[in-house]
Amino acid sequence: MGRLPKPILAYFAIMAALPLFMGASGLFYDAFQAIFVFSLVGLGLNVVTGFTGLLNLGMAAFMAIGAYAFAILTSDIYPFQIGFWWGIVATVAIGAMSGFLLGAPTLGLSGDYLAIVTMGFGEITLDVLKNLDAVTKGTQGINPLPRPTFGSWSLDLQQERGWYWLLLGFVLLAVIAVRRLERSRSGRAWFSIREDSLASQCMGIPPKRTKMIAFATGSALAALGGALFAALLSSTGEPASYDFQVSILALCIVIVGGMGSVAGTLVGAVVMVGMNSLVLVKLAEWAGAAGVGNASNVLASPNNWKYLIFGLALILVVRLKPDGLLPPRLEGGAS
Amino acid sequence: MEWVDFFLQQLITGLSNGMIIALIAIGYTMVYGIIELINFAHGDLFMLGAFLALTLLGMLGLGDWSGASAWAAVVIMLIASAGFCGVLNWSIDRLAYKPLRSASKLSLLVSAIGASFILVNLGLFWGGLPLDVFAGGVAAAAPKDFPALVPNTNLLGEESLVQFTPKDVLVWVVTVPLMIGLTWIVTRTRLGKAMRATAQNPVAARLMGIDTDRVIGATFLIGGALGGFASVIYSLYNNTISFQMGYRAGMDAFTAAVLGGIGSMPGAVTGALVIGLVRSMSDAYLETRWTNTIVFGILVLILIFRPSGLLGSRAKEKV
Amino acid sequence: MSLLEVRGISMRFGGLTAVDDVSFNVDQGQIFAVIGPNGAGKTTLFNAITGVYEPTEGSVRFRGSPVRREADARLGLRAAIVAVLAGLGAFLGINIQELWMAGIDANYTLNQPFPWGKALQDALGAAREVPFAWGVLPAILGAGVGAGTVVALWQRSRRTPDLIARAGLARTFQNIRLFTDLSLVENVLVGMDSRMSNGFWTDLLHLPAFSRERAWTEREALDLLQFVGLSERAHEAAGSLPYGHRRRLEIARALASKPAVLLLDEPAAGMNPSEVAELMELIRRVRERGVTVILIEHHMKLVMGISDRIVVLQYGKLIGQGTPAEIRADRRCIEAYLGTEGEG
Repeated sequence: MGRLPKPILAYFAIMAALPLFMGASGLFYDAFQAIFVFSLVGLGLNVVTGFTGLLNLGMAAFMAIGAYAFAILTSDIYPFQIGFWWGIVATVAIGAMSGFLLGAPTLGLSGDYLAIVTMGFGEITLDVLKNLDAVTKGTQGINPLPRPTFGSWSLDLQQERGWYWLLLGFVLLAVIAVRRLERSRSGRAWFSIREDSLASQCMGIPPKRTKMIAFATGSALAALGGALFAALLSSTGEPASYDFQVSILALCIVIVGGMGSVAGTLVGAVVMVGMNSLVLVKLAEWAGAAGVGNASNVLASPNNWKYLIFGLALILVVRLKPDGLLPPRLEGGAS
Repeated sequence: MEWVDFFLQQLITGLSNGMIIALIAIGYTMVYGIIELINFAHGDLFMLGAFLALTLLGMLGLGDWSGASAWAAVVIMLIASAGFCGVLNWSIDRLAYKPLRSASKLSLLVSAIGASFILVNLGLFWGGLPLDVFAGGVAAAAPKDFPALVPNTNLLGEESLVQFTPKDVLVWVVTVPLMIGLTWIVTRTRLGKAMRATAQNPVAARLMGIDTDRVIGATFLIGGALGGFASVIYSLYNNTISFQMGYRAGMDAFTAAVLGGIGSMPGAVTGALVIGLVRSMSDAYLETRWTNTIVFGILVLILIFRPSGLLGSRAKEKV
Repeated sequence: MSLLEVRGISMRFGGLTAVDDVSFNVDQGQIFAVIGPNGAGKTTLFNAITGVYEPTEGSVRFRGSPVRREADARLGLRAAIVAVLAGLGAFLGINIQELWMAGIDANYTLNQPFPWGKALQDALGAAREVPFAWGVLPAILGAGVGAGTVVALWQRSRRTPDLIARAGLARTFQNIRLFTDLSLVENVLVGMDSRMSNGFWTDLLHLPAFSRERAWTEREALDLLQFVGLSERAHEAAGSLPYGHRRRLEIARALASKPAVLLLDEPAAGMNPSEVAELMELIRRVRERGVTVILIEHHMKLVMGISDRIVVLQYGKLIGQGTPAEIRADRRCIEAYLGTEGEG
């Protein structure tokens, strides 16, 4: 557990304490629950792209696989019904396996082509989920989904604080896991591929196996995010909820926060998702109250600014602060 | 025989759509050939060209869209959209890509994605403008109808099962001369030679006195203009536009460019015709809902197994 | 038997022949030099030996056998497993909707116990009704493609750099390829990877083996840094090292795997005379540790000063072989090197 660096400890301390000041429900909770879910996806992308240098533009696919796997295994519209906790465990395993599956064909690729292929996989997965509607219930999604239970006590959807702390707990677990891997032989092998893949091979690091493990880890985390996302909404939502935009949101989180930096990913999630869920919503409310724009005005809905925000974030960060808000100080164990 | 007619129909549709995709694909392949960047924003500026065309139509306000005035409108839109998209593409290079010429490939790629997203949002806002052509701008995200300026009458006769319409004529009448013109530019003019030289070896080109920045700018301009032409033809052919059409069209076009061998213009055209045919055949003989998957599947398979494309050469590189 | 046997290696890239039928042997404990004018094919030869390139012709034998993956039961097993999974996957992928509806949707009622046996039977029944073209055929094709891909990929990567490195040949690079964002210690630890055994789960769960391995590996890494004289900056980023020290780090990293053979590609490039003298001393100490050294070098004083044996390349061909004294007296070698005596 211990030996998390100060910025990360501060993050968790602040996040854990915030709900005590924020009332029992409201916009704050919607925003932060989304922030935590996407922190998980971002941490997954950070392992694949930040640590190992493999640009993956299809993380949404793993999030979707996680959401649907969790839903199929736990919803009462299907006979499996293995319950919330086993559902989470199974989803992480399935997420890892799909990482192996979708990562294997990309092992020989790098740079642009890798990015495009992962993007293609993202689209293909989406289409498959849409079209196999007997299993995935198409645009209706699979619902309802079970709530987590602790003994005889269960967490219902109205207990915003409970969900908040549960999600934060998962983020903490993920951060510990990723930090451990970062400061170990596994992490070093990943970094070496990113730094110089030829030298890495000549040092004896097996490229295919190392990349596959990175993919599996990243996709397992993204799948976990997807499962929790679905559990939170008590529905998978439609397959289109996991489209290219979502993959780019994950990319924004990692790039804005700082590629390869765990603390950066956490901050990136707060900035990007917070921008969407808090700032824009507040702006729209204010604009409405001030009489600027109305329901039929395209500029009034915060949803309609998403693409612009993502696009600007990427372009500005890459130009002005390419290492991100919280760049990694020194990789691995020596810090 | 019905199945022959049916097949011929798919052939016609496929090839016509393929030619439209070809114009977009050339834009991708030219830019990749010269600076090794996948210009993600290309498909989206194609989309903006279509929105411009529709807006122009609304402004021109032609009450009776038929006959000579319709064709005049078509010409106006073609020129306007081509100019607009060309300049837009050039500007994107100036603003987003040129400052990063010496940065990592990842930064460039990310910038391109960012530019693409900004354009998509502009399209969304555009569609929300309170104009009649946009149905008052109420449902900004919904697809917009594009007036049928070009009639859908079957030139092969009313009874024929195979349809070849003025729309198809338009496609070929515009795309073929454009491609001939482009080939002439690339092979016969100084600019074309400079483009080819810069694509092969930018450092040597600069040492020979070629202003590579201007050449790159010209490439973006031409590629963008072609996309502009494509946007008008596409809109007239399909009679509907949406702010998300750039993504799909862009993927089709990029797949085509890769299929034919990225960096090669004949390759882009060939690849586009193949993709156009694959789409129409898949829609007709399989199921429409799997067509996108098939196209993406082709893209993935080509990049994994034969990244130099069907027409490209497999050269071993010295490290 | 020589430690390393290079037999008739040729490297052709399209129309360019970079290495033309080069053969030589390196014995255990030797310091062996490969010299020649720029563009003679020396680095290409190194790349062919270390698996970065696949030789167009010829072979390399280490300790008497070629270093490459051999076809064995594991390959067969892997191909078989992939074939079964691919075939099954193809079948299920195409027909999942029907099977699902027959097995699960048809039999499931809310709050009733689910008849697993019957569901399975129904699903199998639906599976049997699938027409050949949509069922058995894709399964067979999938199995074939799966197995074929496994074998094809195996064939294409029989001799890879990581395999050769693990067999005991370590190297440095002409252009110095360090992991610049990692610390000096971490660079060396990467070099040591082939001697480590911690796996993913050990790292994740901090199993007991984790701290044990971390302790001895870090100690050894620091020892190696001390061996090359870099221990003060052990935890700084490799990118912050001045040029002269980077070479030393690269050597420490290569030594970390306790290789039998160390290939150095122009280690003295960019060094002043006192640095070259230090390097010569370092190479001698490396040899004392039992490592056979092969080096590419332009620096004649260094080469003549420490080599036991030299081969001379020009335009990809081997034009001379022998002791330093023999090479110094060989007219052809001198002519090839006219004007480059003593320059780096």
